[in-house]
Amino acid sequence: MVWTGHLLVLAFSLVGGAGALGVLLKGAAPPLRVALPHLFPFATMSLAVDGLSAFFLLVIALVAAAAALYGPAYLDAHAKSPVVQTVSLGLFVACMAIVCCAADAMTFLLAWEGMTLASYVLVVIDMQSEENVRAGLLYLIMAHAGTAAILVAFLVLASHVSHAEAFDFTALRAAARDLDPTTRTTVFMLALAGFGAKAGVVPLHVWLPKAHPAAPSHASALMSGVMLKVAIYGILRFGFDLLLPAEGPLPASWGWTVLVIGTVSAVIGVLLALQQHELKRLLAFSSVENVGIILIGAGLAMLLCRGRGSQELATLALAAALLHALNHAAFKGLLFLGAGSVIHRTGIRNIDDLGGLARRMPWTAWLFLLGSVAIAALPPLNGFASEWMTFQALLLGGARLGGASGLLAGLAASMLALTGGLAAACFAKAFGVTFLGRTRSLQAERATESPAPMIAGMVLLGAACVGLGLAPGWALRLLDAPTAELSGIAASAVVTSQGPLVLSAGGGAEGLHATSISLTAVAAVFALLAAVAWVIRGWPRRAPSRLAPTWTCGMTPTSRFDYTGTAFAKPLRLIFAAVYRPSREIVKDVGSSPYVLRMLGYSGEVVDLAETVVYARFKRWVTVSAHAIRAHSTGRIHGYIGFVLATLVLALLLFAGARP
Amino acid sequence: MSVELATRLIDILGALLLFTMLLILAAGQMYRAIYAVATQAVFLGVAGAVLGAATGNVDLWTIAAITIVVKAGLLPWLLIRVVRRVGISREIEPVIPTTITLAMAAAIVVLAFWLNASLGAVRQAITGNALPVGVALTLIGVLVMATRRKALVQMVGLFASENGIFFTAMAVSQGMPLIIEIGVILDVVLGALVMGILVLRVRSSVDDTDIADLENLKG
Amino acid sequence: MRIAQIALQTLLVLLLGPLVTGFIQKLKARLQCRAGASLWQPYRDLAKLLRKGTVQSDTASPFFRAVPVLVLAAIATAATLVPVLWAPAGSAHPRLGDAILLLALFALARFLLAIGALDAGGAFGGMGASREMTVGLLVEPALMMAVFSVGVAGGTTDLVDLAARRGAVEALAWQAPDLLAFFAVLILTIAETGRIPVDNPDTHLELTMLHEGMLLEHSGPGLACIALATHTKQLVILALVAALFFPLGLSPDAAPGHVALALAAFGAKVLALAVFLAVVESSYAKLRFFRVPQFLGLGLVCAFLALALRVL
Repeated sequence: MVWTGHLLVLAFSLVGGAGALGVLLKGAAPPLRVALPHLFPFATMSLAVDGLSAFFLLVIALVAAAAALYGPAYLDAHAKSPVVQTVSLGLFVACMAIVCCAADAMTFLLAWEGMTLASYVLVVIDMQSEENVRAGLLYLIMAHAGTAAILVAFLVLASHVSHAEAFDFTALRAAARDLDPTTRTTVFMLALAGFGAKAGVVPLHVWLPKAHPAAPSHASALMSGVMLKVAIYGILRFGFDLLLPAEGPLPASWGWTVLVIGTVSAVIGVLLALQQHELKRLLAFSSVENVGIILIGAGLAMLLCRGRGSQELATLALAAALLHALNHAAFKGLLFLGAGSVIHRTGIRNIDDLGGLARRMPWTAWLFLLGSVAIAALPPLNGFASEWMTFQALLLGGARLGGASGLLAGLAASMLALTGGLAAACFAKAFGVTFLGRTRSLQAERATESPAPMIAGMVLLGAACVGLGLAPGWALRLLDAPTAELSGIAASAVVTSQGPLVLSAGGGAEGLHATSISLTAVAAVFALLAAVAWVIRGWPRRAPSRLAPTWTCGMTPTSRFDYTGTAFAKPLRLIFAAVYRPSREIVKDVGSSPYVLRMLGYSGEVVDLAETVVYARFKRWVTVSAHAIRAHSTGRIHGYIGFVLATLVLALLLFAGARP
Repeated sequence: MSVELATRLIDILGALLLFTMLLILAAGQMYRAIYAVATQAVFLGVAGAVLGAATGNVDLWTIAAITIVVKAGLLPWLLIRVVRRVGISREIEPVIPTTITLAMAAAIVVLAFWLNASLGAVRQAITGNALPVGVALTLIGVLVMATRRKALVQMVGLFASENGIFFTAMAVSQGMPLIIEIGVILDVVLGALVMGILVLRVRSSVDDTDIADLENLKG
Repeated sequence: MRIAQIALQTLLVLLLGPLVTGFIQKLKARLQCRAGASLWQPYRDLAKLLRKGTVQSDTASPFFRAVPVLVLAAIATAATLVPVLWAPAGSAHPRLGDAILLLALFALARFLLAIGALDAGGAFGGMGASREMTVGLLVEPALMMAVFSVGVAGGTTDLVDLAARRGAVEALAWQAPDLLAFFAVLILTIAETGRIPVDNPDTHLELTMLHEGMLLEHSGPGLACIALATHTKQLVILALVAALFFPLGLSPDAAPGHVALALAAFGAKVLALAVFLAVVESSYAKLRFFRVPQFLGLGLVCAFLALALRVL
């Protein structure tokens, strides 16, 4: 049953992926529309696959295929209710696909809700754990708050439509053309808040590091790799498609808001990721960071499109954002599957208790290294390609905007460079402490490689990482359709204007050549030089090689000498203490004299400022208000019925007053 | 001297003044701060000389000479003497962390340029960007005074601020009248002398020259 | 033709790297009133290391043997991106990479070294890796801002294009933002090349180890590869500074007169920067590790001001 379910998901994702590829590569064509059965009298429901939908369908298909390959072997062991998990997984993938293809608000919202509920089931599947249940509850609350915001946004737009098909996207689009700017901005901000809560932007990210680790690893891969992208899809759909004014550029406040929250999310996400010692929590925070990077590109595109900057630069920024969405799905999916593989074989989540797994689980280790190099935006893999495009967009866009805007763009670029460095440090820690060094526990000592289907899932995503990095031209052809729809110019025309193997960014000042890089050529040069260096290194020598223990000042090396993850991140904990507010407690147990130490205990903590500053205060306010309101409840039936009567009368009065 | 060359030189000297101001902010030891403010005064004197050559105003040459002699020679020498005599610890202790002060200085520079743009002041013919740079220098000098504990470092901040005022005056009116310049410099010298005497007095009766101790004087 | 030029430049940088290090050591020794080792000592050290056998840690994975090779390859690839002798105008040259790719290749080398250090286990490797990654990531934002402030003026981040454009005509046309960016990059050069006051390249004590801590477990030819990578990285950074701020004398074509002039100009620029590094190393003490962020913060603010003066 489990196997058939997963094979079904695999089949659907392969078919869906092929279909999406077909739509993307076909070029300019009207979107396919499929009408759905009438569920509501006041709204028709339909699906439409245009370029943007097809691109996100491709993202879903990629990670879903890998998760489907991975799932059955993962669930074979000690999984809880595997049948329920399989069904939820299938439902989850299906709902995400429907969200991306929805052509009217009702389909969108229904599928959105289905997506939330299916992933909730996956989060709380391990109901024995108190933590998981609480994480699921928080997830549900925040997801529904976000859905409420999106619902209100749709309703406000629909209220401006005069005829019957109020919820269809074409009707909403037409109505939005003549909106006054305040309403338009309000709707966008509501949508941004709603989708942002789902995407995990700071400060609405609090649920993410609790919920993503609770779900089984292939579900976490889907949640981090794909569900966040569906939220990005929502933001792009609202910002660039539904709310487009009839003429003139998008309001500057949109672009700047998205850019600023993107930058803040990126920096805070990776800072918090660095301090985590639980592998999946670290990956969840890192997703917050990457969503921030995508939003930087999206915000820049909003600033530059339609006349304020130049359309080519807007396309470059948009292409950078979309490519990073695809890249992140690939390498985050790979990393989550790798983490799942480790947890599956050792049962341990804390990286400080692992170590030495590279020799025991070689495939997992090297695939995880591939994912780490990709997410740290190091050449020549795909993470660098999309970050390079973002940097170029910031530079050229900043130069084009000039003045204070240019300065802010430069600041955003330096913060992006900071997050790149922090991500490299974070994943050096994650990979190094988990897989390298000596084993620090019995379970790590006894670990063996994961079964082949799990490795196959990871290899699929690893191949995607390498392919997207070394052959960016073909990757950008996939972006042609969405960018042509959203900003009018195909991505290939701007970014690969100098050939399929070369990324180039132009559109700056007049008379200047575009800056171009060729990751393929760089990779080739790198490989050549590595081969030469290997030959030099392997030159025949007089003295033979030998093995010896690691130098530990003459003592017998044990695993206690190895640097733990907490120690690795300590300098940054002190340097960025303003963000972390670290606290530590040292407990000493001394013997007869204060110089004889029997036991030393160290415990340290970093806080997530969003939780302590924002949420704790909000919770306290809600509790206080609830207590105050409770003081007024009479406990008598007549009082409650009286309240109901008063509310009905009020609603009728408002309704009557609102009628013209 | 051609106008373009003068403009470029004054722009570059403005950048050098900003850099020395950052060195004063980031200085961890007394001597470094004092040397930085002395270098700043040298650059200021050179800027005055360049402006004098470009406009043909002889007063500016005099002012440049006085600036170099007094603010790059006499006052730093005085401060170093006080530091040696008093024998206080050389470390400069900031009230708020240095990184935050550096960030505030950067924000002040941006603010100065933004003010410049919003007030509609255009780039001057000879003095170029000197107005916003001068305003920024003055404000950062006051920032140094506000964020350092030791009295002597606050003096350094005062000197730096006065450098900024002079640079601003150069930008706006191509140099103030000679008598006002001499008056200002005399005021600064007097202030330095008073502060030096006070510090020596305070040092001999109380152990430290931490300004925070003055808080105990409130009623 | 262009490929031959790039290959020749890379070879030149690889061969001259140890000489620059030898020169800095010699000058430091003289400033400290010592005789000092000979200029050619780094070459002798490399030859000695290549002759020796490898002692490898028994906990290291097979990846450990590959780390020195990959690091050298990454730095050598970075060396192909800087214009050392030739800066042909126009789009005549094959596109390899720009300044951002160069910085990313340095980051790749640092990442690989850190992973290798954690592979061997032990506290030295962990400490060195942790500290080196920390300093590296604090340098990144400031360098990016400095590159931006130069790039905004030139409209591109491609180093050859920038050098070609600014070389002949505007070489002396430095403006205020260039000066501030130059000061910022000088501060960051000290951090990137791992010299006092950020790191001490001469010792292997725990307290001064940032870079050296990561190299402790490498030996023999592996260590030779990493030592060569370090020398090359230093020269590439100096060449980067020269290309960004003093793109004088670069030859636009293959005429021997131009090339000779370019070689002499390159030598002079590198010499001046090496003298700067040696003087700074001899004048200051190494900073305590947690004061390094303040030092780098000064560089960041300078770079920020450079960008501000450029766009405002």
